[in-house]
Parts: sequence; C-alpha cells; structure tokens
Amino acid sequence: MAQSTCLRLLVLCCLILAAFYRLPVLAADIPQHPDFQKHVLPLLSRMGCSGRACHGSFQGRGGLRLSLFGYDFQADHAALTARGDEGPRVDQRSPDDSLILKKPTLQIAHEGGRRFTEDSDAAEILRRWIAAGAPGTDAPAVLRELLVEPSEVVFSDVTSETPLKVTAVWEDGSREDVTAFSRFRSNNDSVAEVTDTGLISSSGTGETHIVVFYDNGVTAIPVLRAYRQTAAQTNSSQSQSPLDQMINERLVLLGLQQAELCSDAEFLRRASLDATGTLPSPDEVREFLKDTRPDKRSRKIDELLARPAFAACWANRICDWTGCNPAQQAELGQETAVQWAEWIRKRLERNEPWDEIVRGIVLAKGRRDGQDWLEYAEEVSACFREGGIERFAGRATMPHYWTRRSMQKPDDAAQAFAQNFLGIRLQCAQCHKHPFAPWTQQDFREFSRFFEPIKFGVPPESQMAYKELAGKTGLQIREPSAGAAVTPDLLRQAQQGRTIPWRELYIQRRETTLSLALLRSGSAQLAPNQDPRELLMHWISRPDNPWFAKALVNRVWAAYFHRGLIEPPDDLNPANPPSHPKLLQWLENDFVSSGYDLRRLHRLILTSHTWQRSVRPQPDSPDDRRHFSRAIPRRMPAEVIYDSLKQSLAAADKQHEVRTDLTRRAIGDLSMRLAGTYAMSVFGKPERAVNCDCERSNQPSLLQAVFMQNDPLIEQRLEESGWLQQLAADEASSQLPPAAQLIEEAWLRTLSRFPTTAERDRAAEHLKNTATVSEGLRDLMWALLNTKEYILIH
Amino acid sequence: MKNLFGTGTRRSFVRAGALGPALPLSHLLQAAEKNPRGDSGRSAILVFLGGGPAHQDTFDLKPEAPAEYRGQFSPVATTVPGIRICEHLPRLAKRAGHCATIRGLTHSLADHGLGSRYMLTGNLPTPVLDYPLLGSLVSYELPAPEDLPSFVSIDRPVEGPGYLGPAWGPLSTGEKPRYGQPFRVRGITLDGTLTVNAFNARRNLLRDLDTAFRDIESDDSLLQGMNQFQDRAWRMISSARSRQAFDVAGEPETEMDRFGRHEFGQSLLLASRLVESGVRFVTVLLEGWDTHQDNFNTLARQLLPQLDQGLAGLLDRLHNRGLLDSTTVLTVGEFGRTPKINGNAGRDHWAQAACALFAGAGIQPGQVIGRTDARAEGPEEQGFSPDDVAASFLTAIGLNPHKEYDSGSGRPITAIRDGRPIPGLLSGA
Repeated sequence: MAQSTCLRLLVLCCLILAAFYRLPVLAADIPQHPDFQKHVLPLLSRMGCSGRACHGSFQGRGGLRLSLFGYDFQADHAALTARGDEGPRVDQRSPDDSLILKKPTLQIAHEGGRRFTEDSDAAEILRRWIAAGAPGTDAPAVLRELLVEPSEVVFSDVTSETPLKVTAVWEDGSREDVTAFSRFRSNNDSVAEVTDTGLISSSGTGETHIVVFYDNGVTAIPVLRAYRQTAAQTNSSQSQSPLDQMINERLVLLGLQQAELCSDAEFLRRASLDATGTLPSPDEVREFLKDTRPDKRSRKIDELLARPAFAACWANRICDWTGCNPAQQAELGQETAVQWAEWIRKRLERNEPWDEIVRGIVLAKGRRDGQDWLEYAEEVSACFREGGIERFAGRATMPHYWTRRSMQKPDDAAQAFAQNFLGIRLQCAQCHKHPFAPWTQQDFREFSRFFEPIKFGVPPESQMAYKELAGKTGLQIREPSAGAAVTPDLLRQAQQGRTIPWRELYIQRRETTLSLALLRSGSAQLAPNQDPRELLMHWISRPDNPWFAKALVNRVWAAYFHRGLIEPPDDLNPANPPSHPKLLQWLENDFVSSGYDLRRLHRLILTSHTWQRSVRPQPDSPDDRRHFSRAIPRRMPAEVIYDSLKQSLAAADKQHEVRTDLTRRAIGDLSMRLAGTYAMSVFGKPERAVNCDCERSNQPSLLQAVFMQNDPLIEQRLEESGWLQQLAADEASSQLPPAAQLIEEAWLRTLSRFPTTAERDRAAEHLKNTATVSEGLRDLMWALLNTKEYILIH
Repeated sequence: MKNLFGTGTRRSFVRAGALGPALPLSHLLQAAEKNPRGDSGRSAILVFLGGGPAHQDTFDLKPEAPAEYRGQFSPVATTVPGIRICEHLPRLAKRAGHCATIRGLTHSLADHGLGSRYMLTGNLPTPVLDYPLLGSLVSYELPAPEDLPSFVSIDRPVEGPGYLGPAWGPLSTGEKPRYGQPFRVRGITLDGTLTVNAFNARRNLLRDLDTAFRDIESDDSLLQGMNQFQDRAWRMISSARSRQAFDVAGEPETEMDRFGRHEFGQSLLLASRLVESGVRFVTVLLEGWDTHQDNFNTLARQLLPQLDQGLAGLLDRLHNRGLLDSTTVLTVGEFGRTPKINGNAGRDHWAQAACALFAGAGIQPGQVIGRTDARAEGPEEQGFSPDDVAASFLTAIGLNPHKEYDSGSGRPITAIRDGRPIPGLLSGA
C-alpha cells in the first residue's frame, strides 16, 4: 500500500515537473539538433516562405531572398543569418528575438501573415536551430530515396482517409521520418485531396497521384477509387494482346466497361487519318466495307503503314518534335527545312530504327570523315541543284538540327536536346532547382557543357580555303571563323553549277579530358577532341536510359489517342507519372528489344482493341477520359484539315494524285511554306519557335468555326472543286448522274461512310430547292465539311 | 509532430505549377454565358506604328540639339502648357488634353521582329515560351460580345496568342478598309454571290446533318464547345449587327473626312465602329516608319499627316460618343530611331529611346511623363520598359497585369512579370 502511495506521489511529482518544464516527452519527434538542410529549409518550404510569391521570388521580399524550391544551401544560409532591416534575422543569444521567429508569428508586421504560432513545433525547431548557432550545411547530404508508405492507395468509399508516412533514406544509410517536413500535392483534387500533414482523403471516383516533395526527392503515390464495383467484363472471344490486357486490367479495377469496337467505316477513316494523315477515297471506303475477310482490318493497317503518306505524316510530326523551323535555320530557311523533313521521311519510308535516325541527327557533322573542305563545299552546293533534295536525304547525317541560330548557345542547345529527344523540361533548372525532378542548377550547368564544343562556322584549318572561295564568289565575310550566311546571289551561283563557300558543323578541338555528368543518371569521360555527342548518343540509346525510348513511345501513343500515357508528353518527371505505368514500361521494353522498330510500335497500337474502340461508351458508363475505355473524339491537326479539304473536293480522276503527290500536300513539302499563314495558325499549326509540344494545338475555337463556315479559302476550294465543276458541266449537258448517287458520293468523300436514309432524304430535299443540282451539291458539300463529324477523328 | 504550425492554422498552398494546359474550352464556355455588357464595358485600341517611329521627330523633339541630331522639324505648342510636339501633328497638338505622352521608353532589342514582339506582348522574348499579345490577354479576360469577335486585328496580326492558345488570337480582317471600295472582312463578310438567305439555308442543312454525336455530347466539353462556336460563328456572319459593325462604307462623308480617306484613317474609323459595337480590343497597323532613308519627307508628307488626322479623328469620335471613358488607346512602335541622322537623311534603329502615347479610360491626360537627354539618346533617369507600358495599359483597361496564367508547359506565368504601371500615368479611376 505504501508502495502505491509512493507511486502516486511519484507520478504527481512528474506531472508537476512536466507541466512546469514542458518536458521534451511531449514533443519527442522534434529533432534535438535541427539540421539546416534536412529540417530548417524543408520547413520553410512547407510553410510557403520560399514560395515564388514570397521570399522565393527573384526579387525576394522585405529584403530576404531564399532559393525557390530551397536547394541553394549556401545562399539561403547566408540570407537567413544576415542582418535584416529590422534586426538580426537569427539571434543566437536571444533566439526569440530573431526576425525569423518574430515575423512569421506576427509579433512584428509581416506581409506574409502569421505562418505559425509561438508555441508551435515549427517555432521550436527554428528556436533550437538558432540557439545552436544557426549552423549551415557545408557538406550537403545526398538523398538516396524518398520512401512513402503506403506506396499506393485504393479507396472503397468517400469516407476513407489514409495518412502517409514519408521516410528519407540518405546516402550514408541513415533513415529519418520526415513526414512533418514534406510537402504534399494532389494531381487531381476532384479525385483525392491531401492535407499539409499528408492525410489523403477520397473526393471522387477515378485515379490520380499524390505527390510528395522533400529535399530534392519527388515521389508519386497512385490513389484510386473505383467508379463502381462490377464483375469483370468477359472478353474471352479473342485472346488479348498484352497492350489490351494491361488496359483492361485497369478498367476492371476501376469498374469501367470497355466500349465496343468501332464500325468498319469508322475504323477505316480513323486509321487513315491517324496513320497517314489522309482521308480514305470513296472507292477505298466502298471496297473496304464490301470486304468480307476476317483479317481485313489488320491487312489495311499493313497497307497504310507502307504508304508514302505514312512516312510524310510522321516526318512532319518528328519535325515538330525536333524543331524544324525555316525562320531559325542558319540560312536558306525554306530549302534547308525541306531537306530536313525529306531526310527524315526517307528513313521512315525504309522503316529505319528510331535510334539510327536520331543518331544521324545527333552525331551530324558537316564534312564526312576524310573529306576536305572543298569537296564538302561542292557536295553541299550540289544539294541545291536539280535532284538536290534527294541527294541531301542520302547523306548519312542531318546537320541542320545543330546549325540553327537557336542552338548556338550551349544552354539553349541543352534545353532543346532534352525536350526533343528525352521529353524532359530542363529549362526550369536553368534558374532554380527543378520543381518536379531532382535536377538542380548545377545539374543543368553540367549538362550544358556537353554542348559547348559543338560549333557552326569555319574551323581554323578550313579558313584559308573558305576565304579564297568567298572571294571568288563574292561573299563578304567579316570574321574569318564565323564565315557568313549564303546570300540569294550565291545560291543562284550554286544552282547554276558553281561551288560556293559553306560554313560547316564541326567539333572544336580541345586539349583536356573532361568529366561530365549526365543528369544524375551517370557520368562520362570526354577524351581530348572527342565528340561529346557520342557520349550523349551512347547514353540515350542505352536500354536503361530512363527517357529516350519512353518519350518516343509516349509521343506516338499521344498522337493516336486524345492523351499520352504521360500527359503532357514532353514533361516526363516524377511528379507527372504515367496513367498506366506497366503498359508504358512494356511498350518501352518492346520497342527497345525490337531494335527501336517504329512500324512495329504503330502496328501494336493500331491492331489493339483499345485503339479500335468506339467513341460511344457502354450505357450508363461514367465519363472516363483517362483509362481508354472508349475512344475520345479529337480534332484533325491543321495540315490534315488542309489536305482533307482538297481531297474531299478533288475531281474523280484526281483522287489518287491529290493524296500521293507529297510536293503539294500540307503534310509533305507544303508544311514549311504554310507555317505562319492565317489558316494554319487558326488551326494551331506551330511555327516551331519554342521547344514545347504544346505549341501545336488541336483544340477547336471560334475562329476555326468562322473559317470553316465562311473563309475565302473555303469558298475558293468549293469554287475550284474539280468534282463540282465536272458536275456543273454534266448538268449543263444533261448528263448528270442521279441525285441519289451524287448524295452518296458526297458522304463518302467527306465522312467516309454511306448516308442514312434520313440523311439521304434531307439532302435530296435540299437539292430540289436550289436552282440547279450543282448548286445544291455545293451547299451539301459545304454543310458536310462543316459538320463536327468531318473535322473530328472519331 | 502534432502542432507544426500552431493552433488553428490551416494552410492551403499555392500549387507548384498546374499540369498541362488548362482546357481553354471551359473558360470559353463560361465566358460565353456572361452578359457581354454586364461588366464595366471596357475596350481598348492599340495603334501600332510598325517600323519604329523616330521619337525625336514625333513626340520628343530636341530643338536645342545640334543640327545633325535635331532634324528638320520644329516643335509647336499644344493646348497643354509646357508640352510641345512635332509641327506636323497640329491636330494632335490641339488634343493634347486627351493624351498622356511617355518619353524615355527604353529597351535593347533593335530588331523589328524581337522589338515588336517585346512591345506587343510586354515581355522580353524568349525561346522557351510564347507570350500572348496584349489583345489576347484582354479578350481572354473580358466577356465577348454576342455576335462579334472579341479581338480584331486590322489588317493582320503581328504576333499571336502565345501560350493562351489559338482560340485567343485576333480575327484578322485580311485587308484594310479603303475609301470608296467595299470592305471585306476575311471570314465574316459573305461572298458577294451568297445572300444571307442562301447562307441560312446552308446553315439549316448543316444543323440537320450534324447529328452524329448527339448521344454523347452532354458529357463532352469539346463537342459542346464546338456547338457553341458554330452558333456564334454563324451569328457573326449572318447577323445584321455584325455586318453593320464592319460596314465602314455606311459612314457619312463627314466622318470619313474626319478620319481621313487614307487606309489608316479608314482603319481607325472601323476600329471605332467595332468598339462601339462591343468589340473588346482592336489593333490597327500604320506601317512605314522604318525610315533608314528619307526620314523627313516620308514623315512630313505621308505618315505624320495620316497619324495626325486619324488619331485626332479617333479621339474626337470616341469623346463625342462618350466612349473615351471606357476605351483606352495606346499608340506605340517597336523602338525609336538613331539620334544622329545618317548619310541618307534617315535614321536607323534605336531601342534606347522611344515614345508611347496613351489616351482614354484609366489614363490621367494632359501630361508628359519621362524625359530623355539633350540628344534624345536615352532616358534621363531609369526610363520605362515595354513591360511597364504593357502593365500600364492593362491596368488602365481594368485588368491585373500580374495575374498568373497557365503557360501550357506546367509552369505558372505572370502576365507581365517585370512591368509596373508608370507612376502618375493612371487616373486611378
């Protein structure tokens, strides 16, 4: 009994002491010795202090500037330990008098408001840090991994909540619970929300990611709540391809139903447009619909992939991705841009592997090995004569990528290279730590160094020969190493058979060996005089390169659907994970192990059930825009609209030519000429002035509707339509075919299907009410061209 | 840690960047539902002096400078004491009470393309991002009139809608109105052979045939958006109001003469009509200022009389119709010209000094702000940047120049990040 009284007394004493001294036992998880890198800066980041609207802005606030996304330890430490206007920011002798405690607790006026209270854990952490002398970070620790548990969340109903636990694993092996120091973000609030303490709650059905940020680590956690609980849809009539399997697995998980396959007519139109940028001709539609072979779709796919229009259509896309822009070329913009496109087109026609195509661009040099400068100049001159484009396309390498004016600064070239071939946005890291990927400014600077030795001009050993030829041909040069752009007069000389002086793409000679870093995924030794691009090419074409194959595969997917598996497709980063990681990985592996076979990739997608689904969902289906349960209608790209208008209106005997003459097609040679014109900009054709896939827009707009309804170009096409003109002539000589036939033809030319009875009747009615049948048909064509069905790929 | 920030504080952080471009359609669909004149009813006209007008021969004369700098023109007094402008702008001199002149506008891009882009977007051009035209920003923010385009460019757009997307580009008229000749607006004007009835018949046929997606439209904002655009486009093309707004030829002769019978005058007359009908932003081009040679003749005989008459006419008309309180007018070129006259009696590009002229809503008129040195080589103090001009313009119109937009590349972008409204320029109204 005495024992229990003693015990009670002891407990009472402890409680009194605890209340008196606020024993640490109440706040056991506040670090005893807060670390600047591991605790203080992440804390400031979490509280928004170093956000871009506040102290993270480039002008800072109230004289205090912190690094945006908090990774410049030296600068931040210097800023925080400096003296502010109103007193010392940190005061070791009297920590509570520090500005960084008084301001955010609003003891002194603070534009940023109250960020925490004096008795909060945040205040205690800062207090302890200041009391310990506000130490900085001399040797920054390296974060090896940011572990988040649970690693995925599946909610079953709206009341569910799950807390996240975040563990930092440092290079030295130590681990720490950093949940309280991490930032959290939901990629889609309408599916899941997350509090600032990492508590996830379900706000709707569907799937998204919660992204966790700490130090330079970024980890994304998938969160899912099924639309409904349904039994798995039996699709046992066909064995599924791995692509379909992986898509369908996800649908089952989410309780979504696959749509039916699209009709044959829809298939033909969609496949023609997506794979070759071309409408099927009326005869082709008739034939395909009559065809009874069970494998007709797969045969048609093979046929489409073998067409020259396929190569042209995708060369045009690759020109988007690599930035082929006449206005940025070193000289002779139109000519060199067409050479660029043709070089790629030829290789697509032969189905050359993607890595080989890229190699030809990345490792490009002006001169071939062993060629002297004069031979080189003659060869280039010949590329501007009769047959010159083919000659250029026959070159092993394509130098125009590097010689652009926009590629002359190493920083610009680094950004472009990363976006073009790797689908990553490096430019953020030019000015601050990348917000979503681990790259710091240091990483960017080191990566830029790869591009320093790439030069365009006149290398020292060629300067004499260049100068001599310049003199002979009348080219004025100011600076011998820079050379000068070819003038129109010189171009004429070249066209007439003379050799004129050309600058060349070369690698500047260096004496030393350099050690270069490859964006935290490796490093490389650059020997003296070695071409740094060889190292780059080696790195990107390694099977384990995180981006090269992924970026291409995802971009191709994005072109066939309304979105990529990663969207946007040129922003691959840890905070932007794929909607179907397994599928993307599988496609990537298949692509690499097939030897980067492009046609195989196209075939995989085109033959899948997923791609061939109807735009019509199963009845009572929830609206799904992420999981590919059905096709989503999307607008034709600008060039395809331009070409389709001509195809729909061309004379019967020109139906073949209008599709196959690539010199007169917007997906072909006209692409460069049309860039920047009113029609093309209204429909979102990019001028390729910036490195962003977003520069092309396939969204509809008011101006587009105005254009299709009444632009002079539309009227002109109708006026000049070979078909309509022929019919007008036929009508005048009373040889017009029956209206029913013409109506059918109109539908086949535009919507690539037969009209329904109701449609036939309505059309016939219109034709009766116009002065001539031809006039009525012109109206009919106008109307069909203006339907959503025409301009959408569905 | 249970009490990280202390009691009762719940944080909501600014998201570190949106994901991908926001669908412009949802914005458009909402905007289309708003009452077109239910807001403050602000509009703007931007007169762009393409080529780069010589500032020392227009609004910033230096009569005390040596002959080879001051040029051939003398300044004249205006109705505002202390303000003098070029003698060849007599009408504008009489209307100085309506205008605020900025001197010492300065930047370093003496290239037409880059300089224009800088001036018309209010942001230093960069290869990473396409900044939108000021007109695109305005038409994005202000609700559009019902059957008229929100943003019109006479005759062609210089630069485009940038990261806002093609939906926010201007309707380009395609040609400038010419006195005595019918004026056709690209896409809006019906072809001569097509009557409104015939167009309507086509439209009815289209409406009856465009039914393929009826069953899935309700869930699809893209399809809905397209329906709305179809309707609006049709109304623009067929409505009497729209045709009238563009029908400059319907103006009485007195008005024609007020503005001048040249293309520039007629363009400004059209701009006024459009603003009167509810268009939010009109750009008018007056080109030819790139006077590397024969500067003084070109200005005295051609450009200055046109500018003088046209702009004065515009100010008068807007004033008479009570629209100067709701319309902001900015007149500016891409840069100024060299202080020293060259061997061809011309001046070359000079971005270190230029002028801008403001008038109308939100502007404190009857003043000059800023000063250049004795030879008009550069600003006496810091000067003002094209960013500042843009920020001032947007603020005068009633918009926030520091609003953030989704740049389409995942990075939030401040509209005019580095610009501040010019002190004293704005009326604060």
